[in-house]
Amino acid sequence: MMHDHVIDRSKDITILEVLDRVLNKGVILTGDIVISVADIDLVYVGVKLMLSSVETMEQIRSGNPIVEK
Amino acid sequence: MINDLIYVYCISDSPLGFARNVKSKDFKSMKFDDFYVIVKYVSESEFSEADFKRNLSDIQWVETNARDHIRVIGMIMEYTTVIPFKFGTIFNTKAGLQQFITDYTVSLTENFNNIRGKEEWAVKIYCNRKAMSEQIDELSVEAAALEEEIMASSPGKAYLLQRKKEDLIEKEMDRLCRDYGQKYFDEFKSLSESTSLSNLLPKEYTGQEDTMILNAAFLVSKDKVPDFKWTFDTLRKKDENAGFIIEATGPWPPFSFISIKEKL
Repeated sequence: MMHDHVIDRSKDITILEVLDRVLNKGVILTGDIVISVADIDLVYVGVKLMLSSVETMEQIRSGNPIVEK
Repeated sequence: MINDLIYVYCISDSPLGFARNVKSKDFKSMKFDDFYVIVKYVSESEFSEADFKRNLSDIQWVETNARDHIRVIGMIMEYTTVIPFKFGTIFNTKAGLQQFITDYTVSLTENFNNIRGKEEWAVKIYCNRKAMSEQIDELSVEAAALEEEIMASSPGKAYLLQRKKEDLIEKEMDRLCRDYGQKYFDEFKSLSESTSLSNLLPKEYTGQEDTMILNAAFLVSKDKVPDFKWTFDTLRKKDENAGFIIEATGPWPPFSFISIKEKL
């Protein structure tokens, strides 16, 4: 679905889409403290863990319910 | 707690006259030369180098703060042209920030000229290979020809040809994904001032069953945005039966189209 002002409704945007932009792009060569490539990898490991746990939850929810006879 | 580190969201090239209308407790505007830098003061306990890096391993903390970064820049962007900063760019002092502005004035001005009056739109395209394989005889001439041969063959030969077709289907689907991905990219590109390709993300990151075949950003002139959206809508409906899922999001701050070069 297409929104006119998705930024206002940033809940519709996945965290992945947000991180894709804010971690890898924009003005990136400055500041006294900046995120390094190694730090970014660390963040993505966190995302992967989060997504895989969501997946696991969904598998549990959509699994065959136990039928009592 | 003392908040004395300077966290930078973005730079604008015009004063924020709207500040009165926006809840600005989240951020403030600092003027340096001809630029207005949107910042917030943050605490050392959260954003000092060591603490910041520790916080990055907390995905909830990252999500909250990354969304705040986008939200504030998005708010400013509604009123004026912005150059967005990467998430978590921190200056220890105002003098350090002033030095950056002084060193990069020419490049900042060039970037403002490039992005003024334009919006960043993101397009991600996925392929549902199962849906595509069910349509393969309509999508691939070679697959259709082989299917005809199978129908006309004896059971034994048909069996062998069927195995051959399975290999062909995989190859043809790879080709179709490339061809369609390119076709979509070219369509959107023709409506854009500039393009930027990103890596295709694996399924474990996207959380999608479908395979990503295009991950791109387009810098679109504001007057072409209606055409861009129309093209998106048309393509999305046209090819969904073939197994292509097209997603577009925007307008984003022009993250993908900023290139800051050091003064020589």
